[in-house]
Amino acid sequence: MNQLHYREQGTSIRTLFLVGLCIALMFVDQRFNHLEVVRSNISLVLSPIRYLVSLPAITGSWANEWLSSHIELLNENSALKAKGRILNARLQKMQVLKAENTRLRNMLGSSRKLADQVIVAELLSVDQNPYRQLIEINKGTFDGVELGLAVIDDFGVMGQVIHVNQYTATTILISDPEHAIPVQFIRSGTRSVAFGNGSVDQLELRYLPATADIKVNDQLVTSGLGGRFPADYPVATVISITKDLTHGFVSVLAKPLARLDSSREVLVVKSNNGLAAE
Amino acid sequence: MLNLRYFVIFLSLLVGLILMILPLPDPVQIYRPNWVALILIYWNMALPRRVGPWIAFFIGIVVDTSQGTLLGQHALALVIIIYINQIFHQRIRVMSLVQQAIYVFGLLVISQVIIVWVEGIMGRPPPLLAFFSAPFIGMLIWPWVFVLLRDIRRKANIS
Repeated sequence: MNQLHYREQGTSIRTLFLVGLCIALMFVDQRFNHLEVVRSNISLVLSPIRYLVSLPAITGSWANEWLSSHIELLNENSALKAKGRILNARLQKMQVLKAENTRLRNMLGSSRKLADQVIVAELLSVDQNPYRQLIEINKGTFDGVELGLAVIDDFGVMGQVIHVNQYTATTILISDPEHAIPVQFIRSGTRSVAFGNGSVDQLELRYLPATADIKVNDQLVTSGLGGRFPADYPVATVISITKDLTHGFVSVLAKPLARLDSSREVLVVKSNNGLAAE
Repeated sequence: MLNLRYFVIFLSLLVGLILMILPLPDPVQIYRPNWVALILIYWNMALPRRVGPWIAFFIGIVVDTSQGTLLGQHALALVIIIYINQIFHQRIRVMSLVQQAIYVFGLLVISQVIIVWVEGIMGRPPPLLAFFSAPFIGMLIWPWVFVLLRDIRRKANIS
């Protein structure tokens, strides 16, 4: 019965204390890395839920495979074989080129490694915060995923790992408003930084000089500066160039090559080609 | 009996959390109601002594982890609306479901304002439509949440 007339004296003070605690937590979380342990432990506890939530999608694709007809499978098989043959043919050429490249690099005295080690991971869930662009993947420290590693799909760079626990990792996409990636134009060699702006099909390159040699459809690759992303992975294609005459800058919009909103299989790139100093 | 009581409350919050994580197609996402807030408001209204600011705080931290927001962002919003709810819970209990739903809309807007403020301080532009749509859906869902949880509470004999 006392539930009906319940008013505790301490509630206000307790609430005030908790509000202060929240504000302090947010401050510390934004400025420092100390709370990473807390985060990774809570998300470890949450990882069964994440698996549970991604279960319908997994069962769906499993059932799809199970139920797809014999003929479809045969067709797919022959298509894949054809693709495999083409890739093999290209690979032969690649090996020659690779050998040549290594030789040339040796001659130049540069020690950059060509092959990066990768970990194959699958998408678990997309974080449901409309302001952020984060995805969860199903590999964690047990599989060798570390903080800051680059994540790519078959088309280009997707993002980098920002939180990791034993079994899962959170990846920030290059289109997140808080993310920036150092890039280089293949054609002209101009270096710049591509910022996310919150929409999955756009990256912004700000403050490029108006004289910079940029055209629509130019390809952008990672420059490897800063040491986070390995160099020379494709990032985006230029889709529009706007001249800001009053300030003498151009702002460039580019479309990410990676399928940020539809890739289910991703690769975590392990080595940082000798540039990393972390 | 004590264990069962907390187990039921915990289970309902867990279901709320799953509903918050469940993947939705992009255009529908901004309409996702704050399930955890709805469930917390109910338990706080029914059992203010058992479910108060501390539980709101811990659940908020878990939501923050699962959504990749700043630790403390959802916690702050939940603590504040649970505090307001704790002050008014006796008056709200006797209201009709429609009046309750309007009151809950107010609480959800307050929590949304707090979350959007923090996003704004962080320098992320909040989409405007999302601002009222999620609390609005929350308001429409409240009567169902209320009736469902009340029945569960009576069946499980929690007080």
